[in-house]
Amino acid sequence: MESGIGIDLTAIGAGLAIGLAAIGTGLAQARIGAAGAGVIAEKPEALGTIILLVAIPETMVILGFAVAAMVLLLGG
Amino acid sequence: MNAEMVPLQIIGLKADLPRILRLLRRVGCVQIDDVADSPEISARPLALEREATRRQEALTFLVARIDSLLELLGSGSPLPVDTDNTDYAAAAEEGVEELASRVQELVAQRDALEAELASLPRYESTLRKLLPLIPDSAHQPGNTTVGVLASQSALAALDFVARRVLELTAGRAEVIASDVDGATRAMLVVFPAEFAGEIENILSQEDVARLRLPAQLGSGPPDLALTKIQRRMRAIPGELEQVTQSLAGLAEEWCDRLATWRAALREEIETNRVVSNLGETDMTFVLLGWVPAVDFARVERTLATDIGDTVFVEALPLTPALQKRAPIILHNPRPAQPFQSLVGLLTLPRYGHIDPTQLMALFMPIFFGMMLGDIGYGTLLLLLSLLLTRRFRKGVAHDVVIVLRMGAAWAIVFGFLYGEMFGTLGEHVGLHPLWFDRAAAQNISGLLIMTLAVGAAHVGLGLILGVWEAIRERSRSHLLQRGGMLLGLVSLLVIVAVAVDLLPDPFMTPAVAGAILGIVFLGASLGWLGLLMGPIEFIGLVGNVLSYLRIAAIGLASVYLAKVANDMVGMTGNVLVGIIIATLVHALNLVLGAFSPTIHSLRLHYVEFFRKFYEGGGRPFRPFKSELFGPRPSSLMPDEPERRGPVKEASWRVGSGLT
Repeated sequence: MESGIGIDLTAIGAGLAIGLAAIGTGLAQARIGAAGAGVIAEKPEALGTIILLVAIPETMVILGFAVAAMVLLLGG
Repeated sequence: MNAEMVPLQIIGLKADLPRILRLLRRVGCVQIDDVADSPEISARPLALEREATRRQEALTFLVARIDSLLELLGSGSPLPVDTDNTDYAAAAEEGVEELASRVQELVAQRDALEAELASLPRYESTLRKLLPLIPDSAHQPGNTTVGVLASQSALAALDFVARRVLELTAGRAEVIASDVDGATRAMLVVFPAEFAGEIENILSQEDVARLRLPAQLGSGPPDLALTKIQRRMRAIPGELEQVTQSLAGLAEEWCDRLATWRAALREEIETNRVVSNLGETDMTFVLLGWVPAVDFARVERTLATDIGDTVFVEALPLTPALQKRAPIILHNPRPAQPFQSLVGLLTLPRYGHIDPTQLMALFMPIFFGMMLGDIGYGTLLLLLSLLLTRRFRKGVAHDVVIVLRMGAAWAIVFGFLYGEMFGTLGEHVGLHPLWFDRAAAQNISGLLIMTLAVGAAHVGLGLILGVWEAIRERSRSHLLQRGGMLLGLVSLLVIVAVAVDLLPDPFMTPAVAGAILGIVFLGASLGWLGLLMGPIEFIGLVGNVLSYLRIAAIGLASVYLAKVANDMVGMTGNVLVGIIIATLVHALNLVLGAFSPTIHSLRLHYVEFFRKFYEGGGRPFRPFKSELFGPRPSSLMPDEPERRGPVKEASWRVGSGLT
């Protein structure tokens, strides 16, 4: 029974790790993306820079994925 | 890699300038820089005389008029030019004058007909509501009929009008009212024409809407007006067709000519603009520009042959100051060329620095394949990209399709390595992984380690290139920064290897020392701020390597979505419904499989890889060349648009003040 609860909590922890990181990335990308769309409308040649700026916050969710994988693989 | 460029100085007599510019435009491989931005040239900037400036303004205005005509008539293609001494401005001016009034008249006619066609049905519906009210007196000669509409809340106004009209005409008028709908009441007033003015006054003072018909429908009773409206609505499409055909006829006759004039005039405008970039003395001009090294001899030979010894062409030494301003042409082997667009999407490399196109051409399709890694999706994307190649023959879209094709090919390769075809569907036809099944729980650690190893190798390569660049540039701060990162990264890998018993324990101490030394170097490159920023930058470097975990993450997401699709066939209870749902989910996965790996591979290059060595900010090579006349310019430049046939050089004028 204890081990069952342990696995449940591990899964919840992994879910929180990636879910919260994804929310953070989403919030950041929403703002950067909206501003970036405005920039591209005015200056289409800035597309590459905007892709780069939008992509930067994705590191957070990837780190969340790394933590979730560690929680599951090492803790579970 | 970028093509070698030569800074070029041309000095000649002002009298020869028009011919020299014509030759340079025909050769089409010289970029002309503004002498005002070139401290190497001491001559004063060449000023266009007032007459030339006026002509420039007139040409710009003429081009704007041609633009507006082409907007109304439709686009055209420039015609081949076969005359040497045509004054395009005069011909264009005359043509535009002749055409503009005709086009404006036809367009106004078309707009009026379209507006009439849109408004008549509204009158028709209102008049139909009035039809039951029409008394016989409306058709008697000498009587005038007026329709009035009022809202149900203003019925008192209608009553008032009716009373006043009857009083005024001493009962000779007839007033009939009826509800048109729930909100509106209509009233018809028929009266002798002599009272028209006074009744108009009464109507204008009250809160009622007078039904006014277009003048061409006359002022007869509503039934006659309705007949006229119906006749008009039948006639308008024919008239509209006639006007449209007239416009089409004009378009066929004029569009190509207009496009030719526009192209020729734009060339003259551009030539005059270029002239203002030159320098001058009393008798001579000086031109500073850039030419690809392979084309220098051709430029020199052309000018020497056609102008003689009164023009002096010199290749300037490429000083560091000039090198910073050198334009860039990316020149890579054919398979890597589609990736030039992707490098250019970020920013072009600076002249003399590393062009990462070939590295991107090597790694990006592999990363794509590692993420998608599915024989089924890869094959579909390969077929799709082959189809799209026919649709997009040039430009960035074409390049992206080629990149997609390469990525799809690698996805098939990794599909065999992972043993995946539409996710787990391959298992049912006996497909087994040649390397490992990445979706199996026991293999996920291995998958993550593999992607981290790829990340460390990719980032490490970027840092090695960065160190090499720093040595070439003799930049101490860059060397410390990139060298520190590289040392720190290698030391960290050794620490991890010792921790997992891949290396013996004695390696631990030098590895820790190396990591600390790397952080110190990194901090030293940032000055005093480095005490704080050094460790933070190093953590950022670790983050860069961890970022490659996305290769595993996106791949696993794709596999599990495909697995869900396959499992659905058995879960719905109806095989047909299950297959339909599974197909839809696979289609969604395919779309995601095309976009996600592309975007994330790009990101890994732009953010994690390029930042370690890439010096962007290069300016593209923009040669002074003719779009309308002349042969193909530098062999290094992309293909010219197709021409309709052989063309000769046309004449042009720089302006009166130069000779």
